[in-house]
Amino acid sequence: MVFVKNWEDFEIAAENMYMANPQNCRYTMKYVHNKGHLLLKMTDNVKCVQYKAENMPDLKKIEKITSNLVGHMASKE
Amino acid sequence: MVLLDNANFILRLEKIANEAKKNASFTMTFKRYDGHDRPVPREGKKPLAKPETYMCLMRAQFKSKKISTVVRQEDVPTMMAMYSQFMKSKMDGLKRVKKVKSKAKATKG
Repeated sequence: MVFVKNWEDFEIAAENMYMANPQNCRYTMKYVHNKGHLLLKMTDNVKCVQYKAENMPDLKKIEKITSNLVGHMASKE
Repeated sequence: MVLLDNANFILRLEKIANEAKKNASFTMTFKRYDGHDRPVPREGKKPLAKPETYMCLMRAQFKSKKISTVVRQEDVPTMMAMYSQFMKSKMDGLKRVKKVKSKAKATKG
């Protein structure tokens, strides 16, 4: 339950976790407007990686990883 | 839990985001969905049919309100376009970082 500081580390860890066990992984985001942050979390019920986004430029990267993950989730394999 | 189609889900989500702006938060969950709406059978019983294609289940929760939608593979591009639009318009409480470019200009002038 530790927050990953670096975006690249989170991106790699989250994607690897999903690829290792796609059936049991869930990806959540929690947006708190008055605190101005967006919490991302990827877990497979055993391990968990989290990232806290507070700056605007992170939003673009989050959009990208979200589309990627949804693309993987809704696929044939 | 209300299951909606993709377009209606985004509309409801926008309403939720507006309500959550004041002193509240909302959560989005994404997970893979294989189309089965029943539990995995016990050992010795016939296992569930393996799905041909997987879908993505999107859920949103705000206080006790919950909505969900299923995104099919062919709908992913349109849904993600709508969702990025939603993120841009509603998740606007993050800190803006000043561009280095404008600073350089300011020092010059």
